Amino acid sequence: MSAPRRFLVALAGTEDAALPEAVVRVVGAGAEVEVALLHVAETGARELAAYDPLLRRGPWPLPKKAEIEHRLTEADDEGAAALLASWHEKFALALPGTKITHEVAQGRPEEQIIAAAQRLNADAVILCARPRTGPAEPGPRSVGHVARFVVDHSPVPVLLVRSSRTVP
Amino acid sequence: MVLAGLVSPSGAVSDVAGHWNVLLFFVGLTGAAAVAERSGLFEALAGTAARLSAGSPRRLLAAVVAAGAVVAALLSNDAAALVLTPVVYVLVARFGLAPLPYVLACTFVADAASIALPVSNPVNVIVSDRLGVSAASLVPVLLPAAAASVLALFGCLFVIYRQQLSARAPLVPAASSWDAWTGVPRPLLTAFGVAVAAFAVASALDVPLGPTMAAVWLLLLGVEWTSRRPERPLDGVGWSLLVFVASMGILVDGLSSAGITAWLAQLVLGQVRDSPAAVMIVTAFAAAVGSNLVNNLPAAFVFADAVHSAGLSAASAHAAAIGTIIGADLGPNLTPVGSVATLLWFVLLRQRGLQVSTWSYIRIGLIVTPVTILAALGVALLLGVPR
Repeated sequence: MSAPRRFLVALAGTEDAALPEAVVRVVGAGAEVEVALLHVAETGARELAAYDPLLRRGPWPLPKKAEIEHRLTEADDEGAAALLASWHEKFALALPGTKITHEVAQGRPEEQIIAAAQRLNADAVILCARPRTGPAEPGPRSVGHVARFVVDHSPVPVLLVRSSRTVP
Repeated sequence: MVLAGLVSPSGAVSDVAGHWNVLLFFVGLTGAAAVAERSGLFEALAGTAARLSAGSPRRLLAAVVAAGAVVAALLSNDAAALVLTPVVYVLVARFGLAPLPYVLACTFVADAASIALPVSNPVNVIVSDRLGVSAASLVPVLLPAAAASVLALFGCLFVIYRQQLSARAPLVPAASSWDAWTGVPRPLLTAFGVAVAAFAVASALDVPLGPTMAAVWLLLLGVEWTSRRPERPLDGVGWSLLVFVASMGILVDGLSSAGITAWLAQLVLGQVRDSPAAVMIVTAFAAAVGSNLVNNLPAAFVFADAVHSAGLSAASAHAAAIGTIIGADLGPNLTPVGSVATLLWFVLLRQRGLQVSTWSYIRIGLIVTPVTILAALGVALLLGVPR
């Protein structure tokens, strides 16, 4: 079995800055690989921000829905582009000469990660598990629902990178 | 109601006229909020919140809650939820943070802070107007209660989202994108200050709130006109609210002639009418439940009328006004199954094929609503009940 060549790195917002180094440790410095960075924008918050007014706020004059949606989408796109650019820089530094591509998806992160792994024919998925809370013991709550879903459903090997942070 | 013979046509006219204070208040409030929105005040406030956060998600959440509380207290809960939420969303996206905790903070703080002042929630004016309680006399009790419920809300969100809030923001937005105060016309900023002070003085002197609010709106509109002429100065004024309030007045009069509000009063207040503390607790929970069965505005109308018809003593009426305001302002977020409007909201989202994180919204509401009600009620019982 040949070593994985194409890595999908899922960025869900809680990544540790040490993620690129962790990838290098697994891949090996100087290895010829491709890295696809995936940013998933969760749509729930945007729907909440754009639609909360519609019915819950009663007969108050409503702001123009299309205008608000446009503003929020624009902000999402800007944020996603800036995030991907900043990770791109870190990965380019850790893995010089590697081909790095960007993917943006919308929806539930866990589903979008699996879909992207299939779509891109990735050889492995890399994502950060959420930081530990409380005593660092293995158990049902040791990883979050996104990581658990990806581990359960991924068609390819998954590398879970544990953050060095702990949350009290 | 008119067709069913419960309310005569002339009675309907006098019902609407009897609500002149509330009607004028709504026109003034929605108009003033629209001037504030056009002036860029919300962007400026959010920018200040961003600067104070210094890239720490925890501090950003605290600043968003504080900004939302100020907007809700001075310009009403709906203005905070409708106008500030998208502004905060854009801001949070610039930090590269997941916006859900901050969007929820805006939505919930809009209601949590809305018990603070008479202007903070249309419900407050409806209730004090109907019960004949001076709106200003409620402030010394409800302002500290609002502070307690806002702090309780922040505590809940802080604990629930502690993981997401623990990392630093991945992006640092350009400082120029924060400083939006320069865009707000100076004279208008002064006018907002004058308006807040004038409103405080007028309500302390028990001048009716409707004409005061309308005057404040005209002042702001006048100053806006001199600094930069808005293309459509009357945009954003809640004319539909007028129809709504007028029809609620007629509806409640009809329910009252049918004996329904008196029955409701007997049901809720039957055993406790002589103890202000018990009246406050019972009205708060009953109004919270009522707000989840219908919407909170109709619930406040019907409920205030029911309490009014019970003929309570002055101390009990005061306690009932406080309890009803707490219940009807803070209650509606409890359950989307109970609140018809929120249920419709979810149905609408599903029809559009959107994957809204339904559970995260319900879960937070289930936790936040009882906690904020208990916090506000605790403070109100300490400060608002004569002993």
